[in-house]
Amino acid sequence: MPARHFLWVQTLAVAHRLLLEQWRQKRGLIFWAVFPSTMMLLFGLVYAHNDSMRAGLDAAAAGILVGAALFFSCLGGTVAVIAAERERGTLPRLLTTPLHPAAYFLGVVMAQLLLALMQVVMLYSIALWIGVRYHGSLFLGGVVLLLSVFSYVGMGFFLGARFARRSEEVVVALSAIGVPLLVLGGTFFPLEIMPQGMQAIAQINPMLHMNQAFKGVAAYGMGFNELRFELIFLLVFCVFSLALGIQSYRHLLGVDKSK
Amino acid sequence: MTAVLQIEGVHKWFADRHVLDGFSLRVDPGEVVGLLGPNGCGKSTVLNIVCKLLTCDAGLVRLMGEPLSELGYHARGLIGLCSQHSALYPDLLPAENLHFFARLYGLSEKERKERVAELMHRFELEKFASTRVGQLSGGWQQRLHLAVSLIHRPKLLVLDEPTAAVDLEARMELWRLIEGLRDSGTTILLTSHHLAEAQRLCSRVALMRSGKVVAEGRVPELLSRIPGQSVAKVHSENNQAIMQRALDLGWHVRQHSGQMRLLLPHDLSLREIVDALEGTQVSAVSVQPVTLEDAYLELVGVSASLSEGR
Repeated sequence: MPARHFLWVQTLAVAHRLLLEQWRQKRGLIFWAVFPSTMMLLFGLVYAHNDSMRAGLDAAAAGILVGAALFFSCLGGTVAVIAAERERGTLPRLLTTPLHPAAYFLGVVMAQLLLALMQVVMLYSIALWIGVRYHGSLFLGGVVLLLSVFSYVGMGFFLGARFARRSEEVVVALSAIGVPLLVLGGTFFPLEIMPQGMQAIAQINPMLHMNQAFKGVAAYGMGFNELRFELIFLLVFCVFSLALGIQSYRHLLGVDKSK
Repeated sequence: MTAVLQIEGVHKWFADRHVLDGFSLRVDPGEVVGLLGPNGCGKSTVLNIVCKLLTCDAGLVRLMGEPLSELGYHARGLIGLCSQHSALYPDLLPAENLHFFARLYGLSEKERKERVAELMHRFELEKFASTRVGQLSGGWQQRLHLAVSLIHRPKLLVLDEPTAAVDLEARMELWRLIEGLRDSGTTILLTSHHLAEAQRLCSRVALMRSGKVVAEGRVPELLSRIPGQSVAKVHSENNQAIMQRALDLGWHVRQHSGQMRLLLPHDLSLREIVDALEGTQVSAVSVQPVTLEDAYLELVGVSASLSEGR
């Protein structure tokens, strides 16, 4: 089988397996659907109650999608995948197969991308129903989401490989490292009200650029030129994510095989 | 004939611990070679090197005549590993686990479907076709694990204590399946703590101690190195008297873990043994033909029986 085709087959195999496992874990799937929907409805109620805030609902919907829904499903989901592989002892088993680290990474990205798409459809169905408007290009929004999912998975690989040895540690890793990144990513406070030092640190946080890029497209109708910096940053971070993911996978195998 | 696996003078250090000290072993096509030795003697390190989970510090490993280091990813398609812990996906069905690993090995769709159906049938997994793997018993999970390790028709099947974590009934079933593989010509490298398992399954056995092979051969060859045809296990209040009597009779005497073993040069009945030891305060005696366990104790020279556990 040609190498490129083989990589693709392996990527699909990993994605298919992860989606099948997700489908079988019905309870997890329900919570995964309830969380962003509830968030959107609650934000909708708060914003509807305060006339002065109504205008911000479009940006809030974008923030909930990138900063909450995708954060937990793509980043949290990836950390959970890594922790589960470790707990089940399947990592050394994978290393004895010809599975390429890049195929493993891309398989996780693909599975998370499909889940993210479903979350987008679900969340924006509710959002549009409560009066949110999507202002920008659907294509550009899709590109931002693709780059965001890719980046989240890369960070998830890193957190999972370094900080989550067991499934109980997934929440700890997310809380201790992921949530501060969310704060620095402008999810809870706008960048402008942060101290100068925090603003400087926030600039190297990919979550900030995901938030700004998607809010820019969805809430303010910005185009490629206005979001060029964010898009280039995310694109570079995606390449870095792939390298980080492959390195983390190798680190994981190195750690596990020396047990 | 090209050996499936040839390990020549391999050394491995973990920090200042010399785990493999010039380890050598050859596995020819169709052979089932057992690697036996006490805990910490380096068995798992050997398997990890063969499966490319570790690299050796010195020496050479050849797989199908090619240096393992030069085979790269291709080597992984030549080996199937089944360890004692069934590393499977518990939320998937048995066939889904098989399909997943088949895809990783690059089997075409037609090939994959045929192979999965064949292994499901061969390992009698069809009756659990709609049961999630996590709900199967340990024995059935291990059976599936064995099937998974064969999905890509490896040239060498590596079994790392495959029955260590299952109950007796499941162990007997796994032995039957491994015997089936052996009879169909599968080349197997096996480690085990059960000497009876090795004696039953292996065509050749290598006994390890301190990172090297100390004795190697077919089971009858190893048994022939014991100075006796049968062994009498004796319990007595007066071991000294028994030892003296046995030596007077020209029998070899061994003591392992406080138990006295008398190696008898020819088959004797229990009555004849009791008569010969009369007056030595024997409280219990049993006799049986020499087994691989006796050869192990004789040739490896450790005082613990492997079959008594870790």
